[in-house]
Amino acid sequence: MNITEYYGQTITYREALRLALDEAMEQDERIIILGEEVGRYGGAYAVSQGLYEKYGAGRVLDTPISEAAIIGTAIGAAMTGLRPVAELMYVDFAGIAMDQIANQAAKIRYMFGGQIGVPMVLRTQGGPGRSAGAQHSQSLEAWFMHTAGLFVAMPATVSDAYQLLKEALQFDDPVIFIEHKGLYTSKGIFEPGTALPFGKAAIAREGSELTIITYSGALRHCLAAAEELDKLAIDVEVIDLRTLNPLDVDTFVESVSKTGHALIVTEDSLTAGVSAEISARAQEGAFDFLEEPIMRLSGEDIPIPVAPELELAATPKKADIIKAVRKILRR
Amino acid sequence: MIKDKYNFEVFSKKPIKLMSDSGEWLADFELDLSDKQLKEFYYDMLFGRLLDERFGQLHRLGKVSFYAPSSGHEAAQIAIAKAIDWGNDWVFPYYRDNALLYSSGVPIKDIMAQMLGTRLDPAKARQMPSHPSSKKLNMFTAASGIASHIPAAAGAAIAAKIRNKGEAVITTSGEGATSEGDYHAGINFAGAQGAPIVFIVQNNGLAISVPYHKQSAAENTSLKAHAYGMPGYYLDGMDILACYYLMKDLLERARAGLGPALVEMKVYRYGPHSPADDDMRYRSKEEVDAWRKKDPLLRMQKFLAKRKLWTKKQDIKMREEIELILDKAINEAEAEGFAPLEWMFDDVFKDKPAHLLEQQKMLLED
Ligand SMILES: Cc1ncc(C[n+]2csc(CCOP(=O)(O)OP(=O)(O)O)c2C)c(N)n1
Repeated sequence: MNITEYYGQTITYREALRLALDEAMEQDERIIILGEEVGRYGGAYAVSQGLYEKYGAGRVLDTPISEAAIIGTAIGAAMTGLRPVAELMYVDFAGIAMDQIANQAAKIRYMFGGQIGVPMVLRTQGGPGRSAGAQHSQSLEAWFMHTAGLFVAMPATVSDAYQLLKEALQFDDPVIFIEHKGLYTSKGIFEPGTALPFGKAAIAREGSELTIITYSGALRHCLAAAEELDKLAIDVEVIDLRTLNPLDVDTFVESVSKTGHALIVTEDSLTAGVSAEISARAQEGAFDFLEEPIMRLSGEDIPIPVAPELELAATPKKADIIKAVRKILRR
Repeated sequence: MIKDKYNFEVFSKKPIKLMSDSGEWLADFELDLSDKQLKEFYYDMLFGRLLDERFGQLHRLGKVSFYAPSSGHEAAQIAIAKAIDWGNDWVFPYYRDNALLYSSGVPIKDIMAQMLGTRLDPAKARQMPSHPSSKKLNMFTAASGIASHIPAAAGAAIAAKIRNKGEAVITTSGEGATSEGDYHAGINFAGAQGAPIVFIVQNNGLAISVPYHKQSAAENTSLKAHAYGMPGYYLDGMDILACYYLMKDLLERARAGLGPALVEMKVYRYGPHSPADDDMRYRSKEEVDAWRKKDPLLRMQKFLAKRKLWTKKQDIKMREEIELILDKAINEAEAEGFAPLEWMFDDVFKDKPAHLLEQQKMLLED
């Protein structure tokens, strides 16, 4: 395949992910995919569609329904020379394999004195938005961010979906790659050349009066809010973190130092969530420039409900963001 | 199911033996090990025994924080070590594999450095004592979580199957480990893939204090193989020759692409579970003594003596030599002191991210 053929085209987030997998598998024979339904079915969210037909059952493995087996065997394959992509159908099921993730993948390099690593990408998806209920809609990124030894990527755009996955596949350490179920059909212009490297946050919108710090599915709501605020002559900057480990503290501290105001928007639940970490870092780094307390808008501390109106209300949306920004700026 | 060349019985009712308690060769095939090899088998068991005893001493001296006694498991462990093609096969051991570790060829100085957590530990003093590893020998660091290593071992076997270069995987555990979800997850997938792996259960009858009948209603753990579509073997784990011949055969079959197997080696642990454990709360001295009469070293002594390959005098000499080797290894391992603070932030990732550089800087500045 020739990836440059897609440059400048409008494609979906799902297609961008598939392009990254396909191109990487062509380039590196050590890459295999394993997970539930990844073969003929093409993945629960259709990301690996066509790859089984192209690369065969030896490189695209349908596994038993066992998250511990998928992730645990990916770890063993990674330790012995392959570069597996393990697909976890829903991040909500990570608990079943959390021992493999937190006690094995994250710690092998350290416990082995750096002699070997676990070059594995764990692809999964999370977030609300499909009335999928309390056990299919969570945002559990803080679990992984809290565990030393794991990189965590959460792409929000088409180009980042491709770029971050391509980079993750070249790492010698485990990457938890969390897609957003509400973004698979979102479209964007495919221009990976302009994407920043793994570990760098992007300034998704430049502004001067307040910094919104966000990532993944919440980015679109923040950008939509920024558009509306613009009409009210309120100029906000929006930062897309892209990866949570590494966390690009410098970029948001610099932005908050410039604007003097910060709002953090995440879909994970508020208490002890990602927003708490960002808030603490922004406060430490930009304290002298802050004109108002840093505010956070995150998911409510409840399981995600199924009823559409309730599900919508459970995580921050455009109107909530606008309201919060106006409250901070008192305008 | 494929019949193996030594015709070991699959799912036997009683543990398979090739050597009687008094050291007679029981099998109907020719013993094809040289005198030198037979003596080496015994020497390695003896070394494993003395190594284990030495760990106990080091613990009493307050030098090691933990160890998992292995006395009683030597025949099983040395047989496994001798059947492995080191450097070609992949090994996922467990914390009680002290004798296996020695016989693998890991330098004794490295073993001691790992136990003592000194600067010379190739794993940089990051792993709990009794959690061996060796990159050179393809031996992966043992997991502290019971059975956590089983899915990884299955994954290594799936990778070996994909590479198709005649590699096999060996993984060991206790019988308690077979109750864990991860054990099932790993062995089930390995079975479905027909991956080249041998799962070995060293059944010492106890998981800390809990007897096997509280773990499972299966008569022995080898029976579980049936449900995973692989052969299961039930062996006398105090019989080094039975364990060796079966392991050799199973690993050859795995390397040839004939699939996985599950083996239970019935053993007994003479020592407590760990030094933190008072084993007299859950078993009697009489029970331990009865098992000691079936000691794998004793049985091999009788076997060798019949062939004029063992005398009491030689044994005493060997022991003295081994103790000296252990003394020397401990001195060497301790020579350069403990792991330095500078190492603390290394190897969380291959390259240190900014936040770790910053934390390291702050720690070292203090
Ligand atoms: C996941 C997990 N649960 C519990 C423990 C505590 N623990 C350590 S060893 C052990 C017993 C294991 O018994 P078995 O698998 O039979 O092996 P043995 O130690 O007897 O050789 C237990 C319960 C642990 N280390 N990991």
